[in-house]
Amino acid sequence: MLFPTQSEEVILTISIILITLAIVSAVLFTIKKIFPEKNLKELENRTKSWWIMILIFIFAIFINNLASYICLGLLSFFAFRELYSVLHFRQSDRSALLLAFLAIPIQYTLAYIKWYGAYIIFIPVCMFLLLPSVLVIKQDTHRITKSIAMLQWTLMLSVFGLSHLAFLLSMPKIEGFSSGGHGLLLFLVFLTEINDVMQFLWGKTLGRHKILPNVSPNKTWEGFIGGLISTTAIGYFLRFLTPLEPGYVILTSALIAISGFSGDVVLSAIKRDKGIKDMSDTIPGHGGIFDRIDSLSFTAPMFFHLVYYIAYPHL
Amino acid sequence: MEKPFLQSVCLKLVYKGIFRPVLKYYVGVQYSDCSFLKDEKQFVIIANHNSHLDTLSLLASLPNEILWKVKPVAAEDYFGNTKLKAKLSRFFINALLINRKSKDGSCSAMDRLVNAIEEGYSLILFPEGSRGEPEQMSKMKTGIARLLAQKPGLKYVPVFMTGMGTSLPKGGLVALPYNASLHFGKPTLPESSDPHIIMEQIEGDFQSMIQQFGIKDDDDDD
Repeated sequence: MLFPTQSEEVILTISIILITLAIVSAVLFTIKKIFPEKNLKELENRTKSWWIMILIFIFAIFINNLASYICLGLLSFFAFRELYSVLHFRQSDRSALLLAFLAIPIQYTLAYIKWYGAYIIFIPVCMFLLLPSVLVIKQDTHRITKSIAMLQWTLMLSVFGLSHLAFLLSMPKIEGFSSGGHGLLLFLVFLTEINDVMQFLWGKTLGRHKILPNVSPNKTWEGFIGGLISTTAIGYFLRFLTPLEPGYVILTSALIAISGFSGDVVLSAIKRDKGIKDMSDTIPGHGGIFDRIDSLSFTAPMFFHLVYYIAYPHL
Repeated sequence: MEKPFLQSVCLKLVYKGIFRPVLKYYVGVQYSDCSFLKDEKQFVIIANHNSHLDTLSLLASLPNEILWKVKPVAAEDYFGNTKLKAKLSRFFINALLINRKSKDGSCSAMDRLVNAIEEGYSLILFPEGSRGEPEQMSKMKTGIARLLAQKPGLKYVPVFMTGMGTSLPKGGLVALPYNASLHFGKPTLPESSDPHIIMEQIEGDFQSMIQQFGIKDDDDDD
């Protein structure tokens, strides 16, 4: 079925997001008209990319159930490709890498058919044992430890972690909670991204004390705490998208802010190690795909398992 | 030189319709803008060579209008060892087949290049000769410098590619998705008519592109 009906809460939230973005665009446009000498290119690029990303997201998530899983699988594919491309694997790792790519459709199929038991062990157990075994066949032991570790980590982050977005859509219905998986997915993605934006804005305006200067020189305590408070507040107002009690919504939102920050700085550290500024230049104004979803790759599994534990005790 | 209608339609269809999106979305090739080539009457693209994907990506990035008149120079002993293969290469890759080890003297490699230039075609040349190891450039052969020396006023365009050999190395069966990229240099006139100096100029161009875009091996420290 094309565009299955969504709950009023989901539609309301999407309208709020689109209106907010429209206001930002209008403000940028006005500033440009009044002060034409100001250089707003980067902000304009970012806003334009936000429009495209949000429209793709809405389209991907709401057009059709199967299409949502396929689109999220593609996101994992692009993310995995981008991340492993900067990590310098060996020539002899090719077959294992190809196998890791094949794990993506399998993982998303398991989410689609709602086979939770297989879905949750496929990468952490099956691929964990299988990939090193395949790596060994080539008998190239020089720096094989590094390849084994990097391959599993890349797969965990970009496929296992992100596939939790898809499994949110497979969650069973809870009585009295009409938004369902779409509501949870929207809550998670919106809060993660708004946390990035809020940390950035608070850091720009109030930032004084650097938090991890050798990893990410632009991150400050003020940005982190400002983001944490704003995200928790926004999460509290959007609690109708989740089946959680108000107290748990506050806890969950705060954890989204903290784990989002962690994902951000962990990926920053890797970029720093590899001597690159951005993962690639796929998204104008943002960088690569992983520059945008670094936080999401951390918040998704955290949020999923927390909600799963609190609200779905009988699964 | 006449525009072959059927072939030019086919080339557009194959490279713009199929290979360009496949290379972009499946492999992850990041194209760089080369629309300035439309304004050049004739040129020789000089590129590093690590993979069959090199030729495909180059053709897929060329502007539509000039696609049919850019001929990749390919080895006859590899792409033309049977009559059918030669026909297919000439049609679908638009290849100019030359003999790498010409002994019989019937038509030397250089003559064929000069002829194609005189007819008005642009060329794609891989002066390293063969694909070699991924992310490593072997010594360039000097044929390109002799060609440029023979044809004063002919511009060359250096192109540096990364990741192609990692995605599909020599002997590889399937292309592995890998964020590869192409970097186009500016169309350049040789500074001299001496092949040695031209060669040094080209090598200098590639050295600076490797400095700027090359993938650095970070495993030297342990």
